[in-house]
Amino acid sequence: MKLDTSGLESAEPVWATFNELADGFSAAPSFELPNTTDFDGFQKEAIQMVKPAKGTTTLAFIFKEGVMVAADSRASMGGYISSQSVKKIIEINPYMLGTMAGGAADCQFWHRNLGIKCRLHELANKRRISVTGASKLLANILYSYRGMGLSVGTMIAGWDETGPGLYYVDSEGGRLKGMRFSVGSGSPYAYGVLDSGYRYDMSVEEAAELARRAIYHATFRDGASGGVASVYHVGPNGWKKLSGDDVGELHYKYYPVMPSTVEQEMVEVAGA
Amino acid sequence: MSKSVVEMPPKGGFSFDLCKRNEMLSKKGVNPPSFRKTGTTIVGLIFQDGVILGADTRATEGPIVCDKNCEKIHYMAPNIYCCGAGTAADTEAVTDMVSSQLQLHRYHTGRESRVVTALTLLKRHLFNYQGYVSAALVLGGVDVTGPHLHTIYPHGSTDTLPFATMGSGSLAAMAVFESKYREGLTRDEGIALVTEAICSGIFNDLGSGSNVDVCVITKAGKEYLRNHLQPNPRTYTSSKGYSFPKKTEVLLTKITPLKEKVEIIEGGDAMEE
Amino acid sequence: MSIFEYNGSALVAMVGKNCFAIASDRRLGVQLQTIATDFQRISKIHDRLFLGLSGLATDAQTLYQRLVFRHKLYQLREERDMKPETFANLVSALLYEKRFGPYFCQPVIAGLGDEDKPFICTMDSIGAKELAKDFVVAGTASESLYGACESMFKEDMEPDELFETVSQALLSSVDRDCLSGWGGHVYVVTPTEVKERILKGRMD
Repeated sequence: MKLDTSGLESAEPVWATFNELADGFSAAPSFELPNTTDFDGFQKEAIQMVKPAKGTTTLAFIFKEGVMVAADSRASMGGYISSQSVKKIIEINPYMLGTMAGGAADCQFWHRNLGIKCRLHELANKRRISVTGASKLLANILYSYRGMGLSVGTMIAGWDETGPGLYYVDSEGGRLKGMRFSVGSGSPYAYGVLDSGYRYDMSVEEAAELARRAIYHATFRDGASGGVASVYHVGPNGWKKLSGDDVGELHYKYYPVMPSTVEQEMVEVAGA
Repeated sequence: MSKSVVEMPPKGGFSFDLCKRNEMLSKKGVNPPSFRKTGTTIVGLIFQDGVILGADTRATEGPIVCDKNCEKIHYMAPNIYCCGAGTAADTEAVTDMVSSQLQLHRYHTGRESRVVTALTLLKRHLFNYQGYVSAALVLGGVDVTGPHLHTIYPHGSTDTLPFATMGSGSLAAMAVFESKYREGLTRDEGIALVTEAICSGIFNDLGSGSNVDVCVITKAGKEYLRNHLQPNPRTYTSSKGYSFPKKTEVLLTKITPLKEKVEIIEGGDAMEE
Repeated sequence: MSIFEYNGSALVAMVGKNCFAIASDRRLGVQLQTIATDFQRISKIHDRLFLGLSGLATDAQTLYQRLVFRHKLYQLREERDMKPETFANLVSALLYEKRFGPYFCQPVIAGLGDEDKPFICTMDSIGAKELAKDFVVAGTASESLYGACESMFKEDMEPDELFETVSQALLSSVDRDCLSGWGGHVYVVTPTEVKERILKGRMD
C-alpha cells in the first residue's frame, strides 16, 4: 500500500512568488547563492568573515510601563577594540526597536530591511504592524538563510495594539516571546543583575536604572563589552532614549573611590 | 616524590618538562606564541687582507618590528665573528655557547682559535637538533691558516665560500655580490660592497631593515663598525613633544625611600661577575 | 586564540634621566571574562630591580618563583644584589632552557645598574633579549603600546614627567584592548626612592 504523504507537503509552495512588487514584504528577498563547487567551504569562510562585533551586551525587558531596552557600545575584532561608540539599538520605526548582537553588518542590514517591510505593511493595511508580526518577518528571513553564515542575535521590542511586545530572534531561525532577554557575550552577567532586580511593577526610573546597572556589570566583567550604556524606553507613545552613560564614569559613580592622592609615606626603617 | 626537595640550579641542557602540557594546549586549539625572529640580511666576503661581515639591524615578531637596532654580528673569538639569522634566541644562544667553548679551548691550548673549530662546534650542535634549533649563520674569521668564510644552515650543513649571504634578504644581497664581487678587493671596496649588499636587503626585503652593521676582520685584528650606515633615520619625531594637560588620576601612591647603597670594599676575594 | 591572549596583559617600561618606570595593567581574565582587577604583574626582585611578566599567568607565577629562588641563592653566595644585566641573563637562560616547551610569558626587566644607570630589557618566550635605550613593551596590548610609546617618548625625562608619559601611554593603549586594562600599576624608580602608584582607569 502506498503511503499517503500529502500531509507532509506544504499547502503552498514557499518560494512560488518571485514578484517582489506584489509581495515584497512577505517573501524573503533572495540573494543569489554563490556559484561555487565547495559550498561547505564557502559557508565556513563566510562565517569567519562576519566575526567582527561578536562581543556585546544587549538586554530588554517588559515591565508595567512598557519595554526597557539597553545595550553597550563596543565593537571588537579579536582582542582589538575597533570602536567604543557603536549604536547597537537600532530604531526600526517610532514604535519599534531592534538590538544588535553578532555580525554588525548582518544586523544592520536586516533591521533596515525589516523597517522597509514594516512600512509596506503599514501602507497596505492602514495600521501599524504588530511586534509579533514584525519579529516573525525577521525570523522567517533569517531562517531562509540558515546555515549560510549569517550571524544575528537580536531582540525586537515595541509597542503595538496589544501593548508591549518583546521577541528574541536569532540567525539559527529561533524566535522566542518573553518578558526579559539578554543577548551577547556579556549576557550571563547582565542576566544575573536583571533577574535579581526585576519586578513587573517598576517605575520607568527604576527600570532604567536596573537596565543601566545590568549593562554596567556586564561591561565590567566582559572584556568584549564596554563604552556607553544606552537605555531606551518604549511606551504607548513610541520609544524614547533615556540615557547614554559612559561606563568608565559609571563605575566610579557606583563605586566611588577615595581620592587618596594624599601620598601615604611608607617610611621603611632606613638602614642603620 | 622524594627525588629532590628543592630544585637545584643548572645542570645545563634543554628541559622538556613543559612539552606535554604545551602539546595538550595546542591540541585544544590554543596556539603557541611566535618567537622573535631576525628575518634578516646577513652577508660576508673575503677581501685581500681578511674577511668582512655585514648585517642589517631589524628584529621582527610576526609583522611587528620589535627591535629597530639589534646586533646580529655575534662575537665568537677575538679573531672570529658570526652573523646570525633565524630565531633570535637560537642564534644568540648557539653563538654564546660556542664562543664560551672556544674560550675554554683557548685557555686549554693557549693558541688562537681556528675558524674550522668554531664551524665544527656550531654544525655539530645544529645537526644534533635536526634543524629544530633554527639558526642560519655566516661565520667569518682569520686564523693562522688565513681568512675563512662559511655558511651554516639550521640542519647543520655548511659551505665554504668566498662570498656568502643568508636570511630572508639573501637573494637581494646575493644579486649584488654576484654582479660585483671579484677577488682581491681592497678594504674600502670590500666594505662598500658589503654595505651595498646589506642595503639591497634592507630596501628590497621586508624582513630586513634599519641600519648596516659591518665587521672587518684582518690578521691585525678586528674592527666592528656598529651602525656603519644609517640609511633609515627617524624622520617623524614631533618637535614639540607631547604634553598632557589632563593629568593621570592616581588612586594610591606609595613611596619607599631607598637605603643608601653601602659599598663594602673588602680586600681579597672580591668575585666580580 | 593565542596562548598569550588567555589571561591578557599589558606591560611597558621606559627610561628617564637616571630613573626608569615600569607599568602594567591590573586585569586577570580567562579569555573575555574578567576574574580580578587587582592582579600583580610586576614584582620587585630587589630595591632597584623590577620584573614584569606578561602572558600566561600560571607560567608567569612559576617563573617568578624560580627567579626569586635563584636570586636568593645568588644573594647568599655573593652577598650582594644582582645587577640588572646579570638578572636579564639569568631570565634568558631560564627561558631558553625550555626552548622546545617554553613558558608562555614575555618578561620585561627594568632596573638601576651601576652609577644609577637605568637598564630596561624585554624578551620573547624563549629568552631572546632585546635591550632598548628608550622603552620596551609586552602583552596583548603591545601593538598599541608600541605606537603610543613611539610617539610619546622623549629622552632624559625627569621622574614626574616620565610617570605621566608612561601612564598616558599605558592607559590609552589598554583602552584599545579587550583583554587588558581595568586600572594601571606604575613604579617609578629613582636612585633615592621607589614611587608606586595605582592608576584610575576605565573599568570596561
